[in-house]
Amino acid sequence: MWWRSASFILDRQQHQNRTVAPSPESFLLSSPPPMADSPLNPKSNISAYYQTRAAHHAVVTTDWLAQAQAAVGRHSDDDGSLGGDKGAARIGGGGGGEEEGSGKAFSVIDEFNSWRKQPALAEAVAAIRALAAVIRTSGAATMMELEIELKKASDSLKSWDTTSISLTAGCDLFMLYVTRTSALEYEDFNSAKSRLIERAEKFGEISCKARRIIAMLSQDFFFDGCTILVHGFSRVVLEVLKTAAENKKHFRVLCTEGRPDRTGLRFSNELAKLDVPVKLLIDSAVAYTMDEVDVVLFGADGVVESGGIINMMGTFQIALVAHSMNKPVYVAAESYKFARHYPLDQKDMSPARRPIDFGVPIPSKVEVETSARDYTPPQYLTLLFTDLGVLTPSVISDELIQLYL
Amino acid sequence: MQYDDKSRVEKAKKRAVVKQTEARNRVELFRHLPQYEHGTQLPDLETKFFELDPMHPAVYKVGLQYLSGDIRGGNARCIAMFQAFKEAIKDYSTPPEKTLIRDLTARISSYVSFLIECRPLSISMGNAIKFLKNRIAKLPLALSESEAKSTLMLDIDRFINEKIILSEKVIVKHAVTKIRDGDVLLTYGASSVVEMILLHAHELGKHFHVVVVDSRPKLEGQLLLRRLVRKGLSCTYTHVNAVSCIMQDVTRVFLGASSVLSNGTVYSRVGTACVAMVAHAFHVPVLVCCEAYKFHERVQLDSICFNELGNPDAISKVQGRKEINYLDGLVNQENLQLLNLIYDATPSDYVSMIITDYGMIPPTSVPVIVREYRRDHLWS
Repeated sequence: MWWRSASFILDRQQHQNRTVAPSPESFLLSSPPPMADSPLNPKSNISAYYQTRAAHHAVVTTDWLAQAQAAVGRHSDDDGSLGGDKGAARIGGGGGGEEEGSGKAFSVIDEFNSWRKQPALAEAVAAIRALAAVIRTSGAATMMELEIELKKASDSLKSWDTTSISLTAGCDLFMLYVTRTSALEYEDFNSAKSRLIERAEKFGEISCKARRIIAMLSQDFFFDGCTILVHGFSRVVLEVLKTAAENKKHFRVLCTEGRPDRTGLRFSNELAKLDVPVKLLIDSAVAYTMDEVDVVLFGADGVVESGGIINMMGTFQIALVAHSMNKPVYVAAESYKFARHYPLDQKDMSPARRPIDFGVPIPSKVEVETSARDYTPPQYLTLLFTDLGVLTPSVISDELIQLYL
Repeated sequence: MQYDDKSRVEKAKKRAVVKQTEARNRVELFRHLPQYEHGTQLPDLETKFFELDPMHPAVYKVGLQYLSGDIRGGNARCIAMFQAFKEAIKDYSTPPEKTLIRDLTARISSYVSFLIECRPLSISMGNAIKFLKNRIAKLPLALSESEAKSTLMLDIDRFINEKIILSEKVIVKHAVTKIRDGDVLLTYGASSVVEMILLHAHELGKHFHVVVVDSRPKLEGQLLLRRLVRKGLSCTYTHVNAVSCIMQDVTRVFLGASSVLSNGTVYSRVGTACVAMVAHAFHVPVLVCCEAYKFHERVQLDSICFNELGNPDAISKVQGRKEINYLDGLVNQENLQLLNLIYDATPSDYVSMIITDYGMIPPTSVPVIVREYRRDHLWS
């Protein structure tokens, strides 16, 4: 009796508030990035986080490039505008972040956006760098004032994109660090300020180091001749497989296509560069090939308090199939992705929507499920590889309690 | 104390204030738990009221209230006990040749054994008493008697305020985020925290429906139902034998707990395990709301080794229905044993989340809370 169940009622309500499905002639990035105009994300039901991920690993086409060039020409003095290539974005964004073309006060959102464009940088690190920039340009004279400013900046970042878990977690972590160190206020304000900035810079290094630690820890779990199934484009997973390839391990990777972002295509591209034998599957072929698989490996957008993960749509499905066929499911995630959420079911998170392009026009009466992510409960995960070590899902709550309380 | 050890039971009876007569037909498996004839002690105790020298009248009053069942629920019992102890401490004066700390501790222990005779302690009360004895032992020797007494009373007030009242507010704040419009929430029995959660969610304007599941012989759900209906919530009422029928329409289950043990097992009113297991079978999330002071380091694998036995007459008779008298005259037969269990243990696999004043945690994290917060709080 699904038509009486609560989830159906919720879906109907959300459908009534939804925007229309995108037109077919637009390609992957159907609209220019939403941050071009205002600090607030105007398309609030389309997740900016997933837009950026698509941008990072999108297959670049010529129309997209043309669009991008046109946009650069139009918004040349608007910082945070998209560049044709990421190098331009970094320079233009970095410079534009400090002083705005239109003379507004320093905006943490724009700074954040400029950092976010770099494909190698994780969201949480970009957030922390933006907050460090807030400290640098702040006019506060005491620790209390600085904390208040930071809190305001952190709240505005969090509310700008409520769907990104690592963003929230990164902001919270930094705020926690700030409030904890300010308690030991025996030094003068400027040195405390510089210490905070230094810590923020270090955090960026920690992020890259975290990936290497995870890659090292996970090597023992792949034996020679194993077949690994991956889903989604996770930079951590890529690092893991790169390290395994460098250590001359023989393994084979099965890569799901990852509709609608086509992450599989990009990922298999990267793997082919490493000379790793890779096989592409469509998403529906996972159960069919599951008996050839030895290990399933995912990244995570966020790790929640129950020990489950939030990741690209399709992860839960694959974890379920793997669990029923007794294949181990491993997750590679850095510790700053741990968040104090606790979803009870799939619909218990704030929705993150991505427009899906089917290639053919869809009649307007037909609804499309556009959620970009799902929640995998902890009972389907075997182990998590983090920079804190190799953990079982129940340890996540332990770490969170020690960190946040 | 294990009540199947005859010599210890004899010794305890000699010291007892309350004269209990043991029930005759006892279930073999539960011989280690005390089982007394109900209804025989009250008249005897009432006559003794003016003769009790060592017992403080406030403590006596609370004991009688426990015996007759006027006060029920972990939080209520704990608060009542602490109010009585506060009175007792206020009226306390150190006898000559004795130190405050030792004598007061002995006094409190005697009060506690009286309360145990009236009704076995709940786990929340046990933790609270441990806290009080700890505070008494930590009193600096240099304090004068009146200062020591006022310090203790302040500590008791702080405990009640922080661990019970404020933590209920925090739990309500967390739990209300898990209630969405259009939800059908199921609850069992009458838990004070769950009642506050539902009322608060209603005040916030959320639209949801409540199913109150109840069971004999206590029928505690009716109390909860009255309060909810009076505030305007839309409710459904049913008994526990229908829970598998109603569970298909339910979206969330909120349960209270008498305690949560170290392995994540929830120790709560009998019938809770049943509701949690049915919910699990229907993939409905089960949220247990419990204050952190009720957590205990004990591990329990079944509902037998530690429990409480209630009045067997309550299950052989139905109140208000004189015509249901099929068991009259059979009660004292040897081949009939009536078992009225008060608590049961729900394994942690059936619990999705525990909501405490430290936030929402999975059941596997209970020993983490016990470890981290017992150490640096008022317990160690």
